[in-house]
Amino acid sequence: MPGTLVDRLPLPNLKAYTAGSAALLSMAVYYALTATSQAGWRAGGGAAGAEAAAAADGALEAPAAPAPAPPGDRNLTEQVLDVATYMMQEPLCMWTLINASCCALALAGAGLQRLVFGRLRVAEAQRLKDKFWNYVFYKFIFVFGVLNVQYMDEVVLWCSWFTALGFLGIMAQLCKDRFEYLSLSPAAGGWARARLLALLLLLACAAAALLAVAAVYGLPAGWHTFAFMAAECVLVLVSCLHSLARLALQAADADAAAAPVYYTHLVFDMVALVVELVDALHMVLAHNMALSAGALVLLLQLRSLLARLAARAARHARYAALRALTMHHYPVVPGEGDTCAICWDAMKDARQLPCKHLFHSSCLTVWLQQDPSCPTCRRALLPPAPPAAPAAPPQGPRNTTIHFNRMTSSRYVSWLPSFSVEVTRAPPPPPRAQIDAMARQVQAMFPAHSLAQLARDLLATRSAALTATNILEGRLPPEEEPSFPEPPPEAAPPAPATVAAPTVEPEPEIDEEDDKPVEVQFSSSSHERESLLQRRKRQLVAEARRRYLARRPPAPAPAPAPPAPGPAS
Amino acid sequence: MAGSALRRLMAEYKQLTLNPPEGIIAGPINEENFFEWEALITGPEGTCFEGGIFPAKLIFPSDYPLSPPKMQFVCEMFHPNIYADGRVCISILHAPGDDPMGYESSSERWSPVQSVEKILLSVVSMLAEPNDESGANVDAAKMWREDRAQFNSIADRIVKKTLGLHQ
Repeated sequence: MPGTLVDRLPLPNLKAYTAGSAALLSMAVYYALTATSQAGWRAGGGAAGAEAAAAADGALEAPAAPAPAPPGDRNLTEQVLDVATYMMQEPLCMWTLINASCCALALAGAGLQRLVFGRLRVAEAQRLKDKFWNYVFYKFIFVFGVLNVQYMDEVVLWCSWFTALGFLGIMAQLCKDRFEYLSLSPAAGGWARARLLALLLLLACAAAALLAVAAVYGLPAGWHTFAFMAAECVLVLVSCLHSLARLALQAADADAAAAPVYYTHLVFDMVALVVELVDALHMVLAHNMALSAGALVLLLQLRSLLARLAARAARHARYAALRALTMHHYPVVPGEGDTCAICWDAMKDARQLPCKHLFHSSCLTVWLQQDPSCPTCRRALLPPAPPAAPAAPPQGPRNTTIHFNRMTSSRYVSWLPSFSVEVTRAPPPPPRAQIDAMARQVQAMFPAHSLAQLARDLLATRSAALTATNILEGRLPPEEEPSFPEPPPEAAPPAPATVAAPTVEPEPEIDEEDDKPVEVQFSSSSHERESLLQRRKRQLVAEARRRYLARRPPAPAPAPAPPAPGPAS
Repeated sequence: MAGSALRRLMAEYKQLTLNPPEGIIAGPINEENFFEWEALITGPEGTCFEGGIFPAKLIFPSDYPLSPPKMQFVCEMFHPNIYADGRVCISILHAPGDDPMGYESSSERWSPVQSVEKILLSVVSMLAEPNDESGANVDAAKMWREDRAQFNSIADRIVKKTLGLHQ
């Protein structure tokens, strides 16, 4: 919501803002210069405690300071120090300084963006904007709602702290988005990756440094302050480390579905969520804000965080259950010379499903999370029943279609509650009549099978055609000795020597074709591939045009007036 | 995640390039983004779409092949199973979970063993034999059932348009 509201505000662009800030700053400096050039200005001022801190700022402002070189015995350094001290004490000048540092940060951000990311894609820019306003909104609530700060200095301190962290956080988010985008393209340059890596390392270091600052300055002020300061640092740090880990894993070409990679992501996701949750809880509890708008917002955020955590945990539980299922029930067989039908890569060790189809273990796990059935033959995968097959179809909890309807408002504002509705459908309610009808239909083709047996298989496959295929491929031998003279064609031996190539697959032939004419037609350079594809497309169209004209010379009579197809829904 | 999707898409692209099915060309529009393809499909012979070259866009999800791509014709189309905006409505493109029409058995739906080639071949056969029960375009379905001559003339106009031959 803040995002959409703010969209309508006429915000100045960076150029105008920079120009304005520079003008303001030079005015303030000039004012300070004239003020300090009068003798005895210190009399009005007081504490020189800020002097040390001001020195740094002063040094920065020095080049911008117009140097009218007032006559006097003071040298330049002293003069600059004086100006800085004065500016720190004078509220108006102080505000200009703060504005100027915001502007400097914005400029630095823009510079970094140009250097590392180049032009932002639309999606990235959108995410950036969302995150930015969301962050601003939140920290505003925190500073004025939770902390309820009373003094201007405190406000300024907290604001600058969060500005710095927000800057890091936004950069980390950009890195993450860009990295995800890069992984979509095969030709992603190593250079782009290197720049990303450098920026990420820098961000991680900066976040760690800020964490140290929080420890040094926050701890003396009490645990609460420290916790508030540290939470955001930790979040940025975790996000950077996660992106770095992702980069490393990709560079190592790790199997994305393998357990170590999965657990890496799980740990990072969980840590980030837990830190955020604890921070939100802390905000609600520590500051005893019973009934206020701020508390409401925080509670909403708390709820959304809890939901996200629960969803992540549920996802993990499902993953673990499916992994255990595949590990324990589906044997590993050597799958040399075969390709996995899910990823099309060659297999060394494969998992064999009860229907004899082979897949990579990790590919299978990922797919089963989505749909518990064999990808090739669609057989529903249940935990294998004990060998003495019971007559009733096993109705395991696996035999459910899980369907998520997720309403994620976090795309817009992450504090809005995002919820997901999980619809767990029982196995398509087996209408007995329908199964029986299909069984009779299949039995007409394969009289050797008993109706009961067919019905059992139909319950699993839910399709007459698939059951017929199962029979044809010998996965469903008739139970009793067939009275029919002809056994099912090519009744495969119960354990075909682990070859069990997925018979439905055309892949094996393709694989042989794969390596032959590579150099001739499938260039390794993406440019050549693109231009070849363009050429082929043009040829196809030209050829089709020629054939069309040969068949039907351009008709003198134009085609009948096309009845405007109504606006079909 | 995206890494394995990329490898698989590359393998499919290679196969479609080396071994293209008759009258079908498909590949990434721009290899900067390997998840957006364009396909050219030739209208099947002996049908009213014969001879046309129909361009379509395929958008792959980053978890491909676990989820199906989306397919949308970018030329004008008039067909019972193609929405007015060009989206294609066939069961192979529907994830096992969702069933917008509520009639497909899960065996016809998307599974990771399907491929771009199989999708495009299904679309070719869909062009040849519309399923007028799933009315993505109700007008087209109605005309297909009741006024085949007019349907054919519209189809012929579209064919000519795709070939750049319209007057």
